[in-house]
Amino acid sequence: MRAFLIFLGLLAWAVPAAAIDGTELLRQVDRNLNPVSYESYRKLINIEPDGRKKEFTLFTVKKGRDKVASLFIAPASEKGRSTLRLGDNMWFYIPNVGKPIRITSLQSVVGGVFNNADILQLDYAEEYTVEKLEEQGSEYLLHLKAKTKTVAYDRIRLWAGKEKKLPTKIECLTEAGMLIKTLYFKDVKDFGGGIIRPAVIETDSPLYKDYKSIILVAKTKARDFKDEVFTLTFMPNLESLR
Amino acid sequence: MAVAGITLVLFSGVLHAEEYTFDISETEKKPYHLGGYLEFRPILSVLDKDAALYELWFYNRDEGQTLPEYYAALQLEGSVEKGPVKIFARTNTQYQDTYLDTTFKTTVFEGWLAVRPAPFLAVDAGKRTFKWGKGYAWNPVAFVDRPKNPNEPDLNLEGFVVASAEYIKSFSGPLKTLSVTPVLLPVSEQVNDDFGASDHLNVAGKIYLLLYDTDIDFLFLSGGSKTSRYGLDFSRNITTNLEVHGEYARINDFRQNMIASDGNTSQTVSDVSNWLLGLRYLTGKDTTYIFEYYRNGAGFTEQQTRDYFTFIHDAYDYYLSSGDDAFLQKAAAVSARGYGAPNAGRSYLYLRVSQKEPFDIVYWTPAVTAIVNTEDKSFSITPEISYTGITNIELRLRAMVLAGSRLSEFGEKQNDFRVELMARYYF
Repeated sequence: MRAFLIFLGLLAWAVPAAAIDGTELLRQVDRNLNPVSYESYRKLINIEPDGRKKEFTLFTVKKGRDKVASLFIAPASEKGRSTLRLGDNMWFYIPNVGKPIRITSLQSVVGGVFNNADILQLDYAEEYTVEKLEEQGSEYLLHLKAKTKTVAYDRIRLWAGKEKKLPTKIECLTEAGMLIKTLYFKDVKDFGGGIIRPAVIETDSPLYKDYKSIILVAKTKARDFKDEVFTLTFMPNLESLR
Repeated sequence: MAVAGITLVLFSGVLHAEEYTFDISETEKKPYHLGGYLEFRPILSVLDKDAALYELWFYNRDEGQTLPEYYAALQLEGSVEKGPVKIFARTNTQYQDTYLDTTFKTTVFEGWLAVRPAPFLAVDAGKRTFKWGKGYAWNPVAFVDRPKNPNEPDLNLEGFVVASAEYIKSFSGPLKTLSVTPVLLPVSEQVNDDFGASDHLNVAGKIYLLLYDTDIDFLFLSGGSKTSRYGLDFSRNITTNLEVHGEYARINDFRQNMIASDGNTSQTVSDVSNWLLGLRYLTGKDTTYIFEYYRNGAGFTEQQTRDYFTFIHDAYDYYLSSGDDAFLQKAAAVSARGYGAPNAGRSYLYLRVSQKEPFDIVYWTPAVTAIVNTEDKSFSITPEISYTGITNIELRLRAMVLAGSRLSEFGEKQNDFRVELMARYYF
């Protein structure tokens, strides 16, 4: 009887960890970061080793699991440029060029540490499978593996707080395990409409020693869009959604 | 300043602190937009005094061995948006101080009114560009655009006065997007007179499909100002870092004006095909390769080009001996009817290699571009370096080397070498 009670006790202690489904946890992290369909503004700041900065402001819209588009609204040299992702398809539109061109997820449209995958990010659960889930004190550590070769980072290590289930740190790695960049999520804020998430994402990369990038997030809110918004033909007109 | 956004304080050591703010007013949309750029572009050319085109354009002047020229441009664009209605205008003012003249000219590149009652439907009227085609250096299917310069494929172009519409439909399944763009393009002595024959209402159109993750366009032009033509293009990512694209255009009853080496002119009429195949490849080290092969069925053969240059050399010799430039004037007139177009030959290769931020030095992009006429083996090579590290400033330094045997396309250009600086300020 005593042994049985000890077993029950052990089981009760073990159940919470064992019951955590990594995929479900990743979905919760995704939902806590953004609604399924939303609009948001982001400021990207590239900081050079000597302290010089270059800033970009983007308006981003996303719908469902595989549609996302971003429009540069500042600075003047980038204004009107837009990027679109429809599943694995990505395009880049430059007003001067006058037509969208196909791009890949690893290309950078702004220079510095950011690449297209950072700007046109889908849900993590959409692009990655959870290979392993660990508990580290007050945080979970999710080991993610890209579902396809089209994803910018083959492996990701994602730390999320147990309480809020929001990411605190993400490491992006190559297939061979080489670190490409690290994202630090900071300054959790209430955006309204039930959206409480980090407003600041700080990025550094061993590939760009002493360079740093900051993403500031603002005005994130749930919003639905017509599917036709996420088409190559509509790209020059994204400004009309603001 | 009312900062309602987000503030991040970064401490780097004890003595340095910096604050980053997101001023929400930056995200507020104004009903109007004004912007553009100011550009300064000095060019220094080293002339080839034995080249046919030097003899054609410089026969009665001596500019020395080097030729400095100065270009400046002010491009302005503005728009007003109210509900579903948008009015847009883009003007381009060019200042040119060249060996020929000093000119100052303003052109309305675009000026249109569009009504978009829903994201899937728009109608518009006015002057606009379409930029049809998937090719980077050439676009054989750009039936309603002016030809672009393969050395500057990203530049804005002047449009034509049109009425057009746009209908978009999204689907789930292999066909994800269908869009239809019909275009009406009138030509008269007052409107679009440089498009083609006057007093015609031309009809053009494009049907776009995103089918099995491939962009596909079907395009046509008909109506009388130009002979009827149709074509298709495609673009697809084969792997995450390899994109392939192509264009095919069929032009009915294409008229080609030719000149023989003895100066006799003739015209042929035939159906011709122009096509292009290309790829864009990105390596793991951020090197981008753009490679294209262009078959210009409407172009001149190697022999036809040799005949044209032979005639110019003979006309120049005649001018030197007689002082009579009538044959050179004839050559200039023929040049304007086809031979003088950029890349007027039959067969070309294009290769551009650019390295983003080499040695992790951000914002610097060196590149080299080669255009080869595969028939006469002449070519141009253009190394360049650009810098975009200062907000709203773009700097580019490029040199162009042209080489080829006598009577070849690039061997007979008026200059052997040119170096150019471009400084552009966006506002």
